Amino acid sequence: MRASEINRVLDFVRDAVNEAGRLWWRFFDWVAVVEWRQLFLTWFFVVVFFALVNTPEPGFWFVFISFAVKVLAGGKRKAELMARDATAQANVATLERRLMEARMAALQAQVEPHFLFNTLALIGQLIETDPPEAARVHAHLIDYLRSTLPQMRQRGGATLGKQVELSRAYLAIMQARMKERLAVRFDVPDFLGSAPFPPMMLQTLIENAIKHGLEPKIAGGTVAVRAHVVGADLHVEVCDDGVGIDPHADDGVGLANIRERLQLLYGGDAALDITTPPGGGACATIRLPYKMMEDA
Amino acid sequence: MNPSLDGRPVTALIADDEAPMRDLLRARLAAVWPDLSIVAEAANGVEAVELGERHRPDIAFLDIRMPGLSGIEAAKRLYARSHIVFATAYDQYALDAFEQGALDYLLKPVSAERLATTCARVRARLAATAATDAPPQEIGRQLAQLTALLEGRGKPDKPAYLRWIQAQVGSSLRMVSTKEILFFQSDEKYTRVQTAGTEYLIRKTLKELLDELDPDEFWRIHRSTLVRVDAIAEVRRDLRGRQMLRVRGHPEELEVSRNHGYLFQQM
Repeated sequence: MRASEINRVLDFVRDAVNEAGRLWWRFFDWVAVVEWRQLFLTWFFVVVFFALVNTPEPGFWFVFISFAVKVLAGGKRKAELMARDATAQANVATLERRLMEARMAALQAQVEPHFLFNTLALIGQLIETDPPEAARVHAHLIDYLRSTLPQMRQRGGATLGKQVELSRAYLAIMQARMKERLAVRFDVPDFLGSAPFPPMMLQTLIENAIKHGLEPKIAGGTVAVRAHVVGADLHVEVCDDGVGIDPHADDGVGLANIRERLQLLYGGDAALDITTPPGGGACATIRLPYKMMEDA
Repeated sequence: MNPSLDGRPVTALIADDEAPMRDLLRARLAAVWPDLSIVAEAANGVEAVELGERHRPDIAFLDIRMPGLSGIEAAKRLYARSHIVFATAYDQYALDAFEQGALDYLLKPVSAERLATTCARVRARLAATAATDAPPQEIGRQLAQLTALLEGRGKPDKPAYLRWIQAQVGSSLRMVSTKEILFFQSDEKYTRVQTAGTEYLIRKTLKELLDELDPDEFWRIHRSTLVRVDAIAEVRRDLRGRQMLRVRGHPEELEVSRNHGYLFQQM
């Protein structure tokens, strides 16, 4: 009986000591990180409070102890805390980058089999009827595959210029198939060619414009690619004058992937906006921070 | 259904939205079936039906994916007069359906051998139907099955839920994917649509949204709040005992009303 009672008291004391220790270190960290201005203000209130209750000593002790802690250990402790935060953040960033690289690799491995089949079929047919055109389409297909298949992608492909080049190859193939039903307009100033731009995003938007906007439309239409700088941002938009977007149609993996990758690469600084202009069709705009060159 | 085949040449219609594909099929047909007369070529489904009705060809070669009207829809209007041969590239679902339904089909790109086999079979069938004059009801039923199969795939019996919210921004309509939306909150006359970066106002009421959105995607947690399930970060009780819900990517806390508290019970 007595023993258990003593144990209970001991437990209580141990807990109390632990708790006091935790509170002390929390106070210590707070003092280390807090700004002097705020500390002065706190001292003032503490002194006034204890003066009001007529026992000024604890107030002065508080001021003295926190001053001593701040001066003697504050700088070191603050640096420690900041270093810990930075390490945690760096770990998260590294993890995120790895995850992102893995995800991107998975995403970019997808060349639509439909597209490959149809293009090869087209080349096969053109070999019989129009060999020079067959050679042209064949060359476009090679360009396209070179920048699409991850294992063949050369370094430095993540610029707007490269992405536009790849899109032109894709659109040239689609034009050979759709003939007069597909018109293409590019409005990308040369100086933006060196701006970093993530791979396969422009591509996905153009594929969507054709697949969901123009292919279902009997008369076909135009895909317009436009890039310009607005403030500190690079805007790249892909517009079509096709059938527009059905609000009940699933937004598909393509767009979700672009959003996810933008989020991973730029956080909240980049976005993908989809609009339907009053004249019909659909516009997809990627906004991201503009840089002249890729970092070395 | 079918006119007698003796004397008059067999006629055919080719429908494909891609001109090179039509050229290829025409060239191949000329090689394997020189007597066949191509009376019309259509570049889309609507044209296929129109030309099919005007020329009444014995055979209609129809691409499945065509603008305006799909090959299958076009076939439904044409099968009474013309024997249907579908053409498709790389579509396993369609191929399975064709095999089961014993419909004729061509796999694109069309090879000469494959086309010869198909043509031989079509010729036999034309001769058979000309002899018996059998009503082609069987084909109509198969086409209906095919439509159900091709359109129902990937979303078995699921009604079409709203996947995009249209919000007026300036003079254009912004399409906001439901996957981006964190929550909806009714706000007097409008409904507020909150994404990680932006807030939109739309006129659709919460009640209307509730009817149109996927109930597995969005939960109602309060008379005036719908939240996307995947965006929920945590639910905690505040000092007054109310359940407060936090979403990923937005600092605002949302109250869970007592009526909806059952959604967030401990296991």
